[in-house]
Amino acid sequence: MSQTVDEAPGAERAALRAGGRRKPSSRRRKEAFYFWLFISPWLIGFVGFLLGPMIASVYISFTEWDSFTPPQWVGLDNYAKALTEDPVFWKALGNTFYYALISVPLGLVIGVWLANLLNKRVRGRKLFRTFIYLPTLVPLVATAMVFKMVLAPSGPLNDLLGWFGVDGPAWLLDPTWVKPALIVLSAWGAGGATVLLLSAMNGIPRELYEAAEIDGAGSWRQFWSVTFPQITPVIFFNLIMGLIGSFQIFSQVYILTAGGPDNASQMIVPLLFREAFSFYHFGYASAVAWLLFLVILALTLVAFRWSRSWVFYEQEVR
Amino acid sequence: MTAAAAKPRTGPGRTRLLSAFKASPATYAVLLVVSAIFFVPFVLMVSISLSSDLTSSQNAFTVIPSEFEWRNFTEVFTATGLPVGRFVLNSVLIATLSAVGQVLSSSLVGYAFARLRAPGKGVMFIIVLATMMIPAQITMIPQFLLFKELGWVNTYLPLIIPNFFTNAFNVFLVRQFVSRISGELDEAAQMDGLGYFGVYRRIILPMMWPILTAIAIFTLTHAWGDFMGPLIYLNSEESMPLALGLQYMTGTSNEMQLPPWNLVMVGSIILTLPMIAIYYLGQKYLYEMNLQGGSAGVK
Repeated sequence: MSQTVDEAPGAERAALRAGGRRKPSSRRRKEAFYFWLFISPWLIGFVGFLLGPMIASVYISFTEWDSFTPPQWVGLDNYAKALTEDPVFWKALGNTFYYALISVPLGLVIGVWLANLLNKRVRGRKLFRTFIYLPTLVPLVATAMVFKMVLAPSGPLNDLLGWFGVDGPAWLLDPTWVKPALIVLSAWGAGGATVLLLSAMNGIPRELYEAAEIDGAGSWRQFWSVTFPQITPVIFFNLIMGLIGSFQIFSQVYILTAGGPDNASQMIVPLLFREAFSFYHFGYASAVAWLLFLVILALTLVAFRWSRSWVFYEQEVR
Repeated sequence: MTAAAAKPRTGPGRTRLLSAFKASPATYAVLLVVSAIFFVPFVLMVSISLSSDLTSSQNAFTVIPSEFEWRNFTEVFTATGLPVGRFVLNSVLIATLSAVGQVLSSSLVGYAFARLRAPGKGVMFIIVLATMMIPAQITMIPQFLLFKELGWVNTYLPLIIPNFFTNAFNVFLVRQFVSRISGELDEAAQMDGLGYFGVYRRIILPMMWPILTAIAIFTLTHAWGDFMGPLIYLNSEESMPLALGLQYMTGTSNEMQLPPWNLVMVGSIILTLPMIAIYYLGQKYLYEMNLQGGSAGVK
């Protein structure tokens, strides 16, 4: 469909070239003028809010600057400080990896599992889907509030455990339990991936299952040989988006734990935020931001490279 | 359509179900348990919001409150010592103006990328796509310093104004959507002497509303729930949106004192309900957006 639209100007251009430049080029120029006029909101935003700040950010990361006194050029000191001197940076990076590398695969496993169940002919499917999707509509702050209340040392969860004679830990105040608690919170949002995966499963041609059935494949085998390969592109999409998102985790940490106890739940963005807006270490915070960017970039590239071995695309490449 | 395709193969009665689609009792058991677990936080949110103050008395928590304290829903506006009504108003204001800004700017820019021809357009579009990869943390600090320089700190402007300059994702969505609209109509309109702005205003804009509704919903949801932006830029209680105000509600003067959880939960419900309502009203348009963005994102 979009091809026919794209073809029209191309054909016109070819005709123009073949028949010499008969059409006045002033019309062309006028069209180009309107193009730049119309995209000017984006262009101004790009220069003012993105490109400019990016360049500034590189510069700031090479300085020591509190924004009240003039910036002092320190070269790569901020980067060196993060990588060699600041123990909290490594702890935060480690915690962020821990969080991302558990919560993202966990969310995907739950998503695939639930989507596969919902893809069966289930009575009340719409109702189940609503229940599973509803948590993703809750603003993160509200989710964090509910979990903060539920996980309080004398909160409902420990009340419940108490009925079974289990003495629950202090969750958010306990260094061993604080990260699992944050992961549980993220798993509550698995409905988003579930719905995307379910719609991908809906699109799998039924003939594939019929053929597999005739070949004597059971439902377990059908899942691994038909369903799973067909949904790998969507799994991969969710994996990339999930990784990028979870490396930028902020609000949950800020609201639930403020990085504590003893930095056990400190993550990169909350650390960056504290350095910048509590301590006014703008130079150091900018360096941390670029290091985070490099980590995300590297991880994305690794994921893309890895995807070649398991993501299945139909020959028809879009 | 799959059912129709399968029909001729079957004998009398219902279509034979492929084993991959057979729901066993275990399927139902798992779905019931998982749905229940996913629903528990909602139950707790509502039950605590209707409980009496758990901080002052020695009231233990019960799933069904011994007495339903409906007055919590009015007390949240008066008893917290914070301008909670103002919080809600601020949220509405910031979210609405942000959505207006995104709709206006993304429709204009997306239209230009889909329809107008100009040298350098291809490069510009690649830049649009490339900017999607820049994490917000990179630009956060210089942006803050810029807005501070402009005297915008502690106003809504840093949260609203950037939306009038659109963002890459929305430009991409609109561009994809408009590319799928046949070009015949606007060509005919141009023959009739309508200028480029006229074509945008009279022909394309009226056809864009499904994607613009999706963008509006997306922006509303995002701005409504945003926590970090207000946290950076707003520090007076009068100017805070509800998402940030809730955090202040949990702050207590004394370390040992518990926050007024019942009122915080009322606040959380007030923060959540509009999002659920908007989702259900606009569901089909969000599907449109998945169609435009999701399929492109997969590959």
